[in-house]
Amino acid sequence: MPNPETFRFKSPEELKEEEIERKIQERGPEGEILGGIVFEEEKVVDPETKEGKTKRYIYIGNPYEERPIIIKLETDATQEEVEAIKKEIIPMKESFEILEAMARTYKHRQPLLIEGPTAIGKTYLTEKFTELLYGKGVKPLDFYCSGQTDVSELMAKWVPKVETEEEKKKWNEFLELAETKVKLFQIAQEAEQTERLSQEQKLALIHTRLQELAKSAGLSEKTQWRFQYGAVPKAMGLIRNPDGSFSFDEQKGTGFNLHIEEVGLAEPQVINALLKLRGKKGQLAEVIQLWENGGKKIKAGPKFWVVFSTNPPEEYLARNEVDPALARGVVFKRMGELSEESLHLAADYYFTYKLGEKPEEKPEGCILDIYNHPEIGREIAKVVSAFHNDLNEELKKGEKGRQQRIPLTLDDMARVADALIGTQIRNKETGRLDLTESLKELIHFYYLDRLADQDLKKIMEANLNELLEGVTGKIEFEGKILTRKEIFDILVERVSITEEEKEKLEEEKMQEKERQLRQAEFNAQDAIESLLENPEIPESVKKLLQKRP
Amino acid sequence: MKLVMISYDILIRLRKFMNKEKLNTFIHLIEKVFTQKQPAFDLGLIVKEPTCQIEVKEVFEEIKKIVDIERIIYDETIFDEDVIDKIVDAFQKNKWVFLEIKKDIKSLLLNQLKHLANYNSFQLIDYQGKDVFDMKMPENSRVIVSAERDFIENKISYPHFYRLFGPTLNLK
Repeated sequence: MPNPETFRFKSPEELKEEEIERKIQERGPEGEILGGIVFEEEKVVDPETKEGKTKRYIYIGNPYEERPIIIKLETDATQEEVEAIKKEIIPMKESFEILEAMARTYKHRQPLLIEGPTAIGKTYLTEKFTELLYGKGVKPLDFYCSGQTDVSELMAKWVPKVETEEEKKKWNEFLELAETKVKLFQIAQEAEQTERLSQEQKLALIHTRLQELAKSAGLSEKTQWRFQYGAVPKAMGLIRNPDGSFSFDEQKGTGFNLHIEEVGLAEPQVINALLKLRGKKGQLAEVIQLWENGGKKIKAGPKFWVVFSTNPPEEYLARNEVDPALARGVVFKRMGELSEESLHLAADYYFTYKLGEKPEEKPEGCILDIYNHPEIGREIAKVVSAFHNDLNEELKKGEKGRQQRIPLTLDDMARVADALIGTQIRNKETGRLDLTESLKELIHFYYLDRLADQDLKKIMEANLNELLEGVTGKIEFEGKILTRKEIFDILVERVSITEEEKEKLEEEKMQEKERQLRQAEFNAQDAIESLLENPEIPESVKKLLQKRP
Repeated sequence: MKLVMISYDILIRLRKFMNKEKLNTFIHLIEKVFTQKQPAFDLGLIVKEPTCQIEVKEVFEEIKKIVDIERIIYDETIFDEDVIDKIVDAFQKNKWVFLEIKKDIKSLLLNQLKHLANYNSFQLIDYQGKDVFDMKMPENSRVIVSAERDFIENKISYPHFYRLFGPTLNLK
């Protein structure tokens, strides 16, 4: 009996917390994750108008954690949208780790940097997180870094107003010159360093310099210039319109999600520009100053948030370590490779066709509707995830005959799963689906045909054959040790036969059993008769044998 | 001698024929709408190997017989903005795009190719009078990018070029 002195009533907040935690950790009958993301509506009173209204919230937490940290965020998405988005996320441990980091940093206006391999789902989860906040179909503002990235696309630039195609061509040629880019950068720098001038005077100075630049290149100095914001200021000042589109509003902009991808490829000048995003106490800057525009300050809306992503430097050629200054200014989330467990879970989702709509009618090229037979899908998933894992390990070492490394992604598995619905080979003997050959064909096409290293291709072909039909690929199935091919054949046979065939098969089995029993009876009778005829058998034994029923 | 000439001719035609078979499969795979992965469409890549005797233009003409497709050559004479305009225009007409890469891909176009690969859509800032211009790739449109193997390996500075694409057709 509990000690009455320690007994206490739980507050409504605590009870609510427990309810949300239970929902976050919810699992299905087979232990599958159902939680992770929870939608709730709350009735609140507007402090200004005193009117009651309903607000929508999402709770995000890692269901794999014993005591998950749960983050509550306001959302524009409806319950149906949140449920649909949830269905598109494979509930891998790594996915929830990333989503939780996103939710946490978003709530505190902190920039997040995710460093992780291709297959971990950085881009995909950024999209899903944005959808969870804004509704289905809304994509983050994306900016991709590469060695070719121009700072002006990220921050801001002056664009000449031109009328004719000929003028446009001349200006484009001029603006693409590296020398022009340097000069434009110098103009902004001059505006930044000229301390005594007001912003208007700095703007006038910039215009003069731009005219001089045009004149020096033989272009019309009377050309009008217009100022164009890049991805960063745009994301800071975007506002959602009633029709769902986004527009830029310097004053009322609420801000939006900005995803800066492959930041490990960014050149130092791009990193320098990105460092402007560092604010106080590890948060994002509340304002940034654009010297290209005479030092004009751009305010960040309350919903402005930046997520950077990059692949680990040790795995890829030509990729640098994330700049230390940038790394210090962000919440750095380093992800490892997908665990084998997660890889298998993903394969299971793909091959049991949990992620998309299943075909209503059997599509062309489909012999067996495998999408309606998860028991087959689960066996295919084991084979494909094992093969995927092996090949990925090999590819990490690089390929002979190719400079670029092409790591595998989960999309490769998804492609095989989708193609397997309509690209099936028939077994000529049985007339049924030959799952082994169909799978081999697709793995060849989606995994092996892309290899530049022919030796690796041969090794992986042999591995695949061994996995499907060899002794070392055998596993226990319903109490027997069988090859994957044998397992596939059994499963395909089970689901391929019609009711009529099933009855016929049962009848044949019964007849066979009866035949075997009769045969056994004859055999026994023959044995007894031979014993009775044997003079060496004692009469007493013979009498006993004759007494048999 | 004559016999050798005929054999060689047959060999060339046979090779072309085999490529045509592969080409049909390649087109079929690009047309495919995936349900298990997002985005639903793949971008296709045609890689011309150094040993290949077939001209890329011939391959384009073959594809043109199968689908309504627009050819855009990305070389020193064209700017990224113009290429993007042409692709947007092709999409508005529900056409496929055959983009032949002959110079290193600059930031503006590369961003859009990556966005097409990631989301099957264009996302442009300050384009056609919109602060953020979003354009979904129409269901009937697709993008095929073509380049020579040596060019990809040595001239394209973006290190993950191959990863933008699903099906790849090697012209050997």
